[in-house]
Amino acid sequence: MIRFATAFALIAAPLAAQDFSENSEARSWNLYAEVPALFEAKVVDVMCELTGDCPANCGDGDRQLGLLRAADGVLTMATKNNQPAFTGAVVDLLPYCNQDVTVDGMLIEDEDFPVRNIYLVQRIKAGDGDWAKASEFTKVWAAENPDAKGKGPWFRRDPRILAEIEKDGYLGLGLETDKEFKEYLFE
Amino acid sequence: MRGYFAGLLAFLAAPALAAEGERITVTGEIIDTWCYYSGVMGGPDSVVGSAHHTCALWCSASGIPIGLLAEDGTVYTILKLGAQDNATGGDTALTLASHTVTADGMAYERDGINYIIVEKVVEDMGIVNRTHEDYDVVPSFAIPEPKE
Repeated sequence: MIRFATAFALIAAPLAAQDFSENSEARSWNLYAEVPALFEAKVVDVMCELTGDCPANCGDGDRQLGLLRAADGVLTMATKNNQPAFTGAVVDLLPYCNQDVTVDGMLIEDEDFPVRNIYLVQRIKAGDGDWAKASEFTKVWAAENPDAKGKGPWFRRDPRILAEIEKDGYLGLGLETDKEFKEYLFE
Repeated sequence: MRGYFAGLLAFLAAPALAAEGERITVTGEIIDTWCYYSGVMGGPDSVVGSAHHTCALWCSASGIPIGLLAEDGTVYTILKLGAQDNATGGDTALTLASHTVTADGMAYERDGINYIIVEKVVEDMGIVNRTHEDYDVVPSFAIPEPKE
């Protein structure tokens, strides 16, 4: 019976919430539900993981990527990279497609909201290699948008974003509504 | 006892296996999941709709996962949006930012996150959530102040 209880405890352990904050050096973003988390994981194409539809190289940037945690098999969603610039994590994780890595960052966990297993990745390490900051998005964007050089952050210069705003305004409700709103906002 | 143990083992191991999909048709708003979940810009009601539209464009264009916020409050992380595979900053995602749509696709759940692979956007109602009337614009710098 003791053997059964031990086996049960070992099997059930991954289902309980685990604390991955030990040894984490994640920088706080002062988010209400942030929890520092350093863990080993495999970088995976989330759609492949769910459906078995698995293109080469995790979709080459066209698929959302997740982190399949080694300790408990939980699939965390790599939602945000390290840059405070409205930037996702796909660009930073794609070079590690299907590789085992160690990541450090912040989990967003709130049972009441509810939200769990949403991850902000701040740094990545493969094997015994050095840590790499998950801050590649703006460099890659700049290389892909050589004609969008100029002052200000990328999101003020991105041609597709500018085209959407030019078409439907900042509120997305049409240029006339935008004009009236801006008159109110900046009166 | 051996049969009970095997049953228990199978039950506990089940979440680690491939998720089972379910065909659904769901109506909701295309949102920016990072701002919605993290609270980085404020409460969930302020980071949806017209008030947050510009920020939703920024986040979508960079590949931050978009979601479909259903009428019952469920958020489905969108892994594919219509004919194109690309739900990581694709053009369709940008065009539909903050729009309320009815979508048909396969839904999955794993480890507390709901996902949808949208096969077809059945109806696009445009932006109907006029949150700027309550929150102005979120973040406050989304609309640049006119130069004098």
